[in-house]
Amino acid sequence: MAALTPYTYIQCPCSDLSTLGRTSDPKSPRADEADDDDDDRTFDPRAPRSNYSLYPLEYLLYCEDCHQIRCPRCVSDEIVTYYCPNCLFEVPSSNLKSEGNRCTRSCFQCPICIGPLAVTSVETKPDPSLLAAPDNTAAPHSGPYALTCSYCSWTSTEAGIKFDKPNGIHAQLAKLRNGGLTRLTAKERKERRKDPSHRFAPAAERDHERSALDDKLNLETQFANLKSFYQSQLADPNASDSGLAALSDLGFSSPTSLSRIMSIYTGGSLHDKKAKLRVGAMREALDTDEGLQLADLDESAAIAQLQCEGYDGTASTSQLSDQPPNLGEAHLHGRGRFISDLRPIPYLLRTKRSKRCPVCRHIISKPEAKVQTTRFRIRLVAGSYIPSMAIRPLSLSGGSSGTSASGSAGIPGALLDPLRPAHYLLTFTNPIFESIKVTLGAPAKTPGRFASKVTVLCPEFDIDANTDVWDEALKDPGGGGGGGGELRDRERERERERRRRKGEEGRNMSSNNNQLEVGKIWERGRNWVSIVVEVVPASLRLDHGAGEQPLREDDDVLEIPMFVRIEWEAEAGGDEVGAVIGRDREARERRELAYWCVLGLGRIRV
Amino acid sequence: MSAVAGSTPLPHRTVANIRSPPGAGHHHQSGPSTPIRPIPSNFGSPSSLRADEEILIIEIGTRKLQVGFSGDAAPRGCVWFGPHQQRRVGDFRDWQTDYRHDWSSAAAGGLWGSHHELWQYDVRGVDLGLVGDKIERALREAFTKYLLIDSRPRRLVWVLPSSLPIPVLSAALDSVFSRFQPPTISLLSSSLALVVGAGVRSALVVDLGWSETVVTSVYEYRELESKRSIRGGRMLVEHTHKLLAKKLPETPEQTDSKDQYVVSFEECSDIATRLVWCKPHPRSASGQLSSDSLATVQEHDESELEASPTSRRTGSLTVPLRSWLSPTSLELSFGELAEPCEDTFFDSQYSPTSFDDHELPLPLLVYRGLLQLPVDVRALCMSRIIFTGGCSNVLGLRGRIFDEVSHLIQERGWDPVQGKRVGQLRSNPKLRRRGARQAGDDPTGVTSPSGEGEEQDGVWHDAANMVPEMDLIDEQLQRGTDRRPRVQGTLRAVESLGAWSGASLVTHLKAQAIATIDRDVWLQHGAAGSSKPSDVDHKTQRQSLGAGGLMRGSAAGSAWTLGVWGAN
Repeated sequence: MAALTPYTYIQCPCSDLSTLGRTSDPKSPRADEADDDDDDRTFDPRAPRSNYSLYPLEYLLYCEDCHQIRCPRCVSDEIVTYYCPNCLFEVPSSNLKSEGNRCTRSCFQCPICIGPLAVTSVETKPDPSLLAAPDNTAAPHSGPYALTCSYCSWTSTEAGIKFDKPNGIHAQLAKLRNGGLTRLTAKERKERRKDPSHRFAPAAERDHERSALDDKLNLETQFANLKSFYQSQLADPNASDSGLAALSDLGFSSPTSLSRIMSIYTGGSLHDKKAKLRVGAMREALDTDEGLQLADLDESAAIAQLQCEGYDGTASTSQLSDQPPNLGEAHLHGRGRFISDLRPIPYLLRTKRSKRCPVCRHIISKPEAKVQTTRFRIRLVAGSYIPSMAIRPLSLSGGSSGTSASGSAGIPGALLDPLRPAHYLLTFTNPIFESIKVTLGAPAKTPGRFASKVTVLCPEFDIDANTDVWDEALKDPGGGGGGGGELRDRERERERERRRRKGEEGRNMSSNNNQLEVGKIWERGRNWVSIVVEVVPASLRLDHGAGEQPLREDDDVLEIPMFVRIEWEAEAGGDEVGAVIGRDREARERRELAYWCVLGLGRIRV
Repeated sequence: MSAVAGSTPLPHRTVANIRSPPGAGHHHQSGPSTPIRPIPSNFGSPSSLRADEEILIIEIGTRKLQVGFSGDAAPRGCVWFGPHQQRRVGDFRDWQTDYRHDWSSAAAGGLWGSHHELWQYDVRGVDLGLVGDKIERALREAFTKYLLIDSRPRRLVWVLPSSLPIPVLSAALDSVFSRFQPPTISLLSSSLALVVGAGVRSALVVDLGWSETVVTSVYEYRELESKRSIRGGRMLVEHTHKLLAKKLPETPEQTDSKDQYVVSFEECSDIATRLVWCKPHPRSASGQLSSDSLATVQEHDESELEASPTSRRTGSLTVPLRSWLSPTSLELSFGELAEPCEDTFFDSQYSPTSFDDHELPLPLLVYRGLLQLPVDVRALCMSRIIFTGGCSNVLGLRGRIFDEVSHLIQERGWDPVQGKRVGQLRSNPKLRRRGARQAGDDPTGVTSPSGEGEEQDGVWHDAANMVPEMDLIDEQLQRGTDRRPRVQGTLRAVESLGAWSGASLVTHLKAQAIATIDRDVWLQHGAAGSSKPSDVDHKTQRQSLGAGGLMRGSAAGSAWTLGVWGAN
């Protein structure tokens, strides 16, 4: 089993209703849960629904005005830029409507392995020469071109696609409708579709139409034909009903109230008249020009191909799902299933989005509009507002402590022994410039199938403000306070180092710290506090007699739900902190933030 | 009714009409004469005016979700439901090189395939909140990845199977209304959208779906009846698994419980979609098709026989399996790969009487679906059979069902009574005349065998070539058909663009959905606030595509309905 680094997930308060979901343990009685008050209900990290509401701290944003965490589910997006992830070209939003959601330049993905495709010229037909082609010094501007994948060496010639020009591949590919088939038929079909006299032929060319009946429409043509057919059907009766048409014209040119009044007084009767006209006005499509397509149920050719090509000739499910909808397909059932039917995938465009708080509409994240930059103009990440939690196993040195923690417990990622107490150090780091009061709540037993016992030794503590590191260093007589101010970074580094050493010394020196004491902080620093959590992992042994289900994935991970409540005092309105501490306390207001989080401690030995 | 019309926010609408550009891919062929239907807009939100420009069509199925803009020919994106979607955000184990999805433990927990499903129709076991969460996440993925839209409120049109249970629908609506703030959600039945997408008004929709196969008869844009059978995609994948398990050597662990899965769902599903095919109709060689109305079928049979005689399928295919105990590859003969399909959809080794109502083989299901219809409806429907659903991609399956149905029709006619005694009755020359008269009296059967019939004994009633009685409505319907005869009575399959594209057409043509749910109303009342479809202004329903006009918005009015979904 893979080692597990301890992790923390935070549940965004926006999804509080998700606690109403079922628990992960199907056998846990729902009745007693229903009795409980809402406040008492523990959040079950194993419930399938909780997967949808838990986020790592890095994914969360924070609204400064609402003083609330905002997760990706509870922000509203606005699009800053559309761009192609391959060529990093910005796409105007108007193009998006007309050209679709994919890059229309020459950016393509390999349909086999989704690697990027490059345009190379095809000197000779066989593939081996294509492999040699990339170092083409000899006349790259000649001959047909093909898209080749440098990873799996797929080329578009395998699908029968070749290009005349090395640029504008997207436009060329769009014309080559039948990817897998020869180019000739593709052209033929294109010609036929383009031919306007054929499609909109009047009744004079009846025989021509008859022959077209068994001709196959592709998706796009059928849609267009159907649309124009329906539109003509809908329009027909209206042409005779001139009164109504006039009314709707009125709506355009005259004050809107007039048309409303008209419709109030005349609407009912007019409508009825129209309705009568409408009944039976529509008929169904009768031939291909109107969009009717008879199904070709004879698939023996495809079956023969399947038999001949076998498993390797067919495209996998994921390959097929990566394919863009090909409007040139004959129809839905002919949608490709063979490797030879696959077409190069134009890159999906991506967006840069700015995020707003849905409540106060303030922007909480705004990226730089330029595609190439990764910077943000505004980015209120939750990590700089709510305390971060770091988890690390704590090995109590020697037998001085009463608990017999096994030696392996201290190694990160080691398996936890069932039914043997283990200790974890939880370090809360305060990012804000106010001291905060943290209250923790954790159920004594973890919810779910395997109930481990959890004891938070110190559920209530204060963390000092995140003051300037430098102040701290100057205050401290033992530190390297005399160091040059210009080497601030290094100083900070040293400070951290020193603190850690001091912490360790402190623990070794004072016997007090070595003991686990309820209600006491394990360790404390400038803006952080470490506390100890004791867990007794549950045994994962299954009672086979009880018809117990076997272990599922991640059932062996010890996860503790923990309710974190933070209180702090802040300036009522201002953002500047620190200058006016203590001067006018009445101007300060109390704030609090409370949320559930999940601590993944480690895997239990099975 | 006029009151409703008067209360509609018409001024707003006209403004919206002016502002809205012709749009992407609009075909304004008939130009200004195209009736411009009002678009609903609520006064509350200023942004709704712009959002009116694009209506999102969302087709939700059991295994995938398709999204796109109305007016497009095909959906822009398709999101499949799967276990990878149900992970926590920031859980990247799928991308770890040493990670292998532990499917067997999930399978042991009863989740072999259900991870890949959005919902189950049996709502007793469904966590409805989870359904909402799944839809939300899938929609979010679709919106950001494929549609590239921001989170402005937009009108949504959902294409749903009409058999969707209310609790599931309500959970889905709850989730989407609260998370995406669409002003309205309109519900469209998928079979109706399919019919529109095929360009016909009546059809028999054979939806070879994932959890079940549903045969729905649609007449003049209304769903009449649907018959269902559990023989669907899920069963096909399970039969594929059975085939693979049979071929794999047995391991000691799996012998103790016979119900255990040995191969992962993903692989079974993959193999089922890639390789499983369907044999042509075995009796088609001997089947002497007498009726000339079925001549097209005969053609199909002949060509199939010529091209691919069943007897010659002896080659074997190698199928790699990665999810077994150790990666291996299996040799399967090509014929064997047709077995899952055979077992799932036909089960022809059993007699037709041995099936329960919920597990009828598909040909029988289609036949019964047709048999139940009134004669004139049947005549129209049988020549407009639309195959759809994921399993219709199984090679040869559609043809096989079609052939078997035509065989059944040829064998039995449209006589609902079957059995030995009936056969005796027919073969008995003394009783024959009486029998014929009885059949003639039967209101559900064909009233009079047409004289041209090949079989004179009254068994084979050619419903196809019947002259239907004229009635008022029919005449009215005929009036608009510009005198071209409608094809009826022959068995014929029609290709549809698909439910999504059909819905795109419907919405693009500004036809009014019966069930349009307003966000505020829904959040206030939920599903309980809906009224029965009959209580709501029915006009829009009756006129279906042709209507709309000034009448707008059950949503804007007080009464609204969930349409077919809220029927019970």
